[in-house]
Amino acid sequence: MRTSSPYRANLLGLAFMTPAMVLLLGFFFLPVVLTSVFAFTNMSTATGISGGSYVVTGNLLRSLTDEGLDAKTIKALRQSSYIIDQAGLEKARTAGVDAKFITEIGERLKDRSFTSSSAFERELKTLPSRPTRVRDLKIAASAFEQSVLNVRYASRGEMEAALSHMLENPPQGAVEQIATASYTGWTWTTENFKNLVIAPDTWRIVGNTVFYVVLTLAFNVLVGLFLAITTFYLPSAGSGFFSILWLLPRITPVVLYAVMWKWFTWEDGFVFNIAQDLGLPAFNYMKGSVASAWTVVILVNGFVGASFGMILFSGALKAIPVQQLWASEVDGASRWQQIRYIILPHMRWPILFVTSYQTLSLLSSYEQIWLTTNGGPGSTTTVWALEAFKTALNNYTGNLQYGLGAAMALILVAVGLVLSIVYLRLFRFDEMMSKPKIEF
Amino acid sequence: MQISINNFTKTFDGTPVIDDMNLTIRDGEMLALLGPSGCGKSTTLFTISGIHRMDRGQLMFGDRDVSGLPSQKRNVGVVFQNYALYPHMNVFENIAFPLTVRKDNKADIDREVRAIAALTHISELLERRPGQLSGGQQQRVALARALVRKPDVLLLDEPLANLDAKLRLEMRSEIRRIQLETGITAVLVTHDQVEAMSMCDRIAIMKKGEIVQIDTPADMYSNPRTSFVAGFLGNPPISFLSGIAMENSFSVAPIKLRVPLGVHEGIADGTQLKLGVRPEHFGPEGDIAVEGKIAFAETQGRENLYDVALADGSVLRSIQPAGRNWALGEPVRWFIDSKSAFVFSNDGQRL
Amino acid sequence: MTRNFAAWPIILLLTVLSLPLFVMYLFLLVDTFSNTAPGSLLPNEFTLEHWRFLIDPTITGDVWKPTLTTFLFASSMMVIVVSVSATAGYALSRLALPFRRFVLSGIMVMHAFPSVTLIIGVFLVLQFAGLYNSLTGVILVKASLMLPFGIWIMKGFYDAVPWEIEMAGVQDGASRFTVWRRIILPQVKPGLLSLALFAFIDGWSEYMLPRILAPSSDFEVLSMYLNTVSDPNSSTYNFNIFKSVGLFYTLPVLALFVLFQNRLMNIFGGGTKG
Ligand SMILES: Nc1ncnc2c1ncn2[C@@H]1O[C@H](COP(=O)(O)OP(=O)(O)OP(=O)(O)O)[C@@H](O)[C@H]1O
Ligand SMILES: [Mg+2]
Repeated sequence: MRTSSPYRANLLGLAFMTPAMVLLLGFFFLPVVLTSVFAFTNMSTATGISGGSYVVTGNLLRSLTDEGLDAKTIKALRQSSYIIDQAGLEKARTAGVDAKFITEIGERLKDRSFTSSSAFERELKTLPSRPTRVRDLKIAASAFEQSVLNVRYASRGEMEAALSHMLENPPQGAVEQIATASYTGWTWTTENFKNLVIAPDTWRIVGNTVFYVVLTLAFNVLVGLFLAITTFYLPSAGSGFFSILWLLPRITPVVLYAVMWKWFTWEDGFVFNIAQDLGLPAFNYMKGSVASAWTVVILVNGFVGASFGMILFSGALKAIPVQQLWASEVDGASRWQQIRYIILPHMRWPILFVTSYQTLSLLSSYEQIWLTTNGGPGSTTTVWALEAFKTALNNYTGNLQYGLGAAMALILVAVGLVLSIVYLRLFRFDEMMSKPKIEF
Repeated sequence: MQISINNFTKTFDGTPVIDDMNLTIRDGEMLALLGPSGCGKSTTLFTISGIHRMDRGQLMFGDRDVSGLPSQKRNVGVVFQNYALYPHMNVFENIAFPLTVRKDNKADIDREVRAIAALTHISELLERRPGQLSGGQQQRVALARALVRKPDVLLLDEPLANLDAKLRLEMRSEIRRIQLETGITAVLVTHDQVEAMSMCDRIAIMKKGEIVQIDTPADMYSNPRTSFVAGFLGNPPISFLSGIAMENSFSVAPIKLRVPLGVHEGIADGTQLKLGVRPEHFGPEGDIAVEGKIAFAETQGRENLYDVALADGSVLRSIQPAGRNWALGEPVRWFIDSKSAFVFSNDGQRL
Repeated sequence: MTRNFAAWPIILLLTVLSLPLFVMYLFLLVDTFSNTAPGSLLPNEFTLEHWRFLIDPTITGDVWKPTLTTFLFASSMMVIVVSVSATAGYALSRLALPFRRFVLSGIMVMHAFPSVTLIIGVFLVLQFAGLYNSLTGVILVKASLMLPFGIWIMKGFYDAVPWEIEMAGVQDGASRFTVWRRIILPQVKPGLLSLALFAFIDGWSEYMLPRILAPSSDFEVLSMYLNTVSDPNSSTYNFNIFKSVGLFYTLPVLALFVLFQNRLMNIFGGGTKG
């Protein structure tokens, strides 16, 4: 009767986990899946994100010509034809055309077709009850007009039927080719990745990203370490002041933080005024030159991240047995020696931890850059995450390329996933998972 | 209520911890589970309480099979080693908790809590938080909380381990008093043999997941079944001599020691044997003479404790009333009381 | 403490390094109460005119509606994060679950994983779910993105509660739910409070999600409001005014931070025990 495993699934546990699982599945798992799926589509604002329809447009005809479709078919598609059938008669009636005239058309021209409006209208003019006004004649004629150009068909079948109806003896496979090309929805493709690989911009952005991550990380870790150690030695009033000051960027809402940097570095801003008074070059440092823009980007992000290192390092410092520090002082170690031989060795793991953790978050951060330099001047400070975000969700031209953006994000997701798994392994977090002790 | 554990087996992550244990705790008795650290005492206790599941076996409360029931349906009171009082509740609420989850009415709860508080002598502490209590007081609260529900069984996991020596003595008799007054069936887990002997009706000695012997303290002391049991009970502990059987005697040739085996006649000559001698059975009086030197002397006030090193290097312990004090290094010729000595085979079985 | 070595160069370096921050925050405060002549650094008059936006909606538009929206946004997200983390954290810390290890590792990966990379996927999910451009959608997304962190923190707090207390509760006849509710939850109150504070601050400051996931909806949170005010192309372009708006926006966060600084420290470190 008893199972071999002493642990029985706990109903309460399932109930307690469900809300979390639903939210995590919906907003973590599903986005990852969607990102990977849509990375292989050409989805964009133009295609919409649900299914599309089938339309032959002038643009399409031009590109079909380029693809080598024969000129006769193209011409036929471009033209309208006039066919006298029941549907046309019906349409004429609703358009308010004179009933007698309609009857005449039905009787005399039934099932005939014309390839141009002039031919059809000439024919109509021969009918006895033709309207006197040319405008009325044209209205009547247009009721029988049939064209695939710019007509929206909901399904492929409808489009193919219309094409077959229009084209007499189309070349082999032409109908299928046109139908496929006329689809306005998104389609599956691997183009996104191919395009990424060949686009020269891609590698510039990768370069920017590496540059940005390495320098900001170095700033974060070094300044964090410096802050932790100096505040450790400072009397408590001073250390309190500096730790709060450095924590401020982290709790300041990012919008305000960006605005403060603008005030600091823009034309007529703080640094601008000082530089002017000193006779130094004064310009909009955030956007005026590549070097100053990078400096701003790295400082903006560095000041936010430094406190993370500071907190962790301070914690680790406090964990060093004070006796060791006293002993070293009794041994006559200078402060530098104390730091070098006692403090830094204790900091190895925290440093590694901060490095890996910050690498992950820096790789994917773009909020601050977006709100300050916005990747400029030009695209000199554009990093991968920002470019992906702009491509997919924040494009000036208004054509958001979800597919391409998803492809870029997918690369980031893959890198992030690998790095986070590596770093969980590295820090042996799985050892924190002990079994439940109550077995009922 | 009588509790019986039948063919109980327990494995943690593939490591067997309890192997086919059988144990019966009689109605109203207090039984000690005694054994070295890691032998499976707590595991047994938590299995009775319903925290651990049995891999195999059966647990009976009276004639009810509770093997598959969770703690909530077993009506067992447990006193944990660290008391496990609820820090955010005061003493009254702590004790009342089992009754409130049972949804007893307020007046009943109040009456029961005050009664049990009176029994455990904590009536004036009811408003305090656990953090404001001494170790002994916390112990009493834990006991009161375990008893207030009138459980069928009371389980105590090393209840005295966190107390200082004086409190430990006091709580020892307190727990026993309360157990006797309530007449509850109780199991006490301990690795302190004095505690087990002084508080309990019977002792079950465990070793590596098995019960080696179960007996009253007196019988266990005077009639140990193995050298492990003999070594576990008694303070100062028993000392052992290694030797061989020779002409119906236990013989240690190098020091020409011969102790007649008495009832154990007929052991083949040359068989490896162990002789266990309790400190009170070795001294200036007795029947088998042994010569040696005082290698260690300790005054305990009323009594003195000596280690006597024999010529071959083995040591016999002795306890003697204070008075004639032997000095360190003094040569002595003392005697073993051969009738009280235990003879064990080389693998520890009593003969 | 250790002997204080003479280290003026170090303190000087620290001061220089901190100077930009110090200047920015000092002038954030000063500029909202003063006017400065163009081209000058130091203020020349005290004034309260930059705070008139609080009562005069013609200056920057009504500020109280976005404030209320932001409060609603931050508090609903806080409620979701805290309640879901409190239950899931407990289940993962204490209860037998199928695939427990797997779920736990998954949550740890998500905790380390930079969730902003998912924004495009989240956008698509909201589109499909019909929650795009709605406050509910943004709240759900924001709360979910914070969940791995919250669950991780709460699990840490639960792990620190002794098992014996839980066992005692079970022995006393209480169900696991009652034990959680009446015994364990009170033990992790500090954790709940820290997480709640952190979630509130985080929600209060959020800018990107409302901006991206609800760009044309009729609700506006303060961050969006501030960003509109501080748009250099707008006619009301004035650093002093949007510093006042910014300060007004940040004040609750600063107050919470100052009041609960110690509680928040553990959480600001990422809840990591590395
Ligand atoms: N939850 C568990 N998971 C794995 N092994 C366990 C677990 N609980 C106990 N053990 C192992 O089972 C054995 C018996 O443990 P138990 O706690 O019953 O010992 P004990 O006799 O109470 O010891 P002590 O006197 O030190 O409390 C030990 O080797 C212990 O390491
Ligand atoms: Mg134990």
